[in-house]
Amino acid sequence: MEKKLSEMNYEEEGRVGSIEQDLKNKVAGMGIRVGKNLKMITKHPLRGPIVVEVDGAHTSLALSIADRIIVEVKK
Amino acid sequence: MKKILLMGNPNVGKSVFFNRLTGANVIESNYPGTTVDYTKGYMKGDSEDFEIIDVPGTFSLEAKDKAEEVAVKMLEEEKGALIICVIDASKIERGLYLCLEIIEKGYSVVMALNMWDVAEDKNVQIDIEKLKSILNIPVVPTIAISGKGFKEVVLSLKKAVSVEVKEIMERVGETK
Repeated sequence: MEKKLSEMNYEEEGRVGSIEQDLKNKVAGMGIRVGKNLKMITKHPLRGPIVVEVDGAHTSLALSIADRIIVEVKK
Repeated sequence: MKKILLMGNPNVGKSVFFNRLTGANVIESNYPGTTVDYTKGYMKGDSEDFEIIDVPGTFSLEAKDKAEEVAVKMLEEEKGALIICVIDASKIERGLYLCLEIIEKGYSVVMALNMWDVAEDKNVQIDIEKLKSILNIPVVPTIAISGKGFKEVVLSLKKAVSVEVKEIMERVGETK
């Protein structure tokens, strides 16, 4: 099932399906690229940032950024 | 005097590295973004002296905030500088990304795989010889807080050369 990265639940794992074009370079340096496996670690309240695990490293992203990344979630 | 820039992702130990190499006492803390401006220091090599610059951490050469802007600007201003690319060995992928970007710009790079002990604890295994042969640059495992690998880093500075990304791609078997 596909959903926005910002909509993933705690502990949920998935694979990056697509990233909006103008965002691609911005998040690539943090290890987030199409085809990468992600795991949701934390979602902060009040529309705060989210923390995902990618290649064994934690990376935080603004919710507005996470809204623009589509993830194929593992069942 | 030859300049050396310490570059790498935030929170990989560049400032600890800097203090080790120069004997200075820059503030270190375990938070990304401790260094937002640069610090300069001097080091005696085996045959020549170097000026070392501790650059703020950045994920890529496309600046997203003030500290990253400083980092990118510094790199651009120091065209002839040697780069010690400090990588957190336990999170090697994102470090390699930045390192390749720097190589792509034509700089001579020495790669320091820092936090080698942390990587070992996490069971991350890195084939250094293979990395060396693919990148064709010196790659040294280091532990900045204990000083492991520093002698080798300093000695390998004269082996740092600029490498064509195209050749690296050929060696990994990617054709573009």
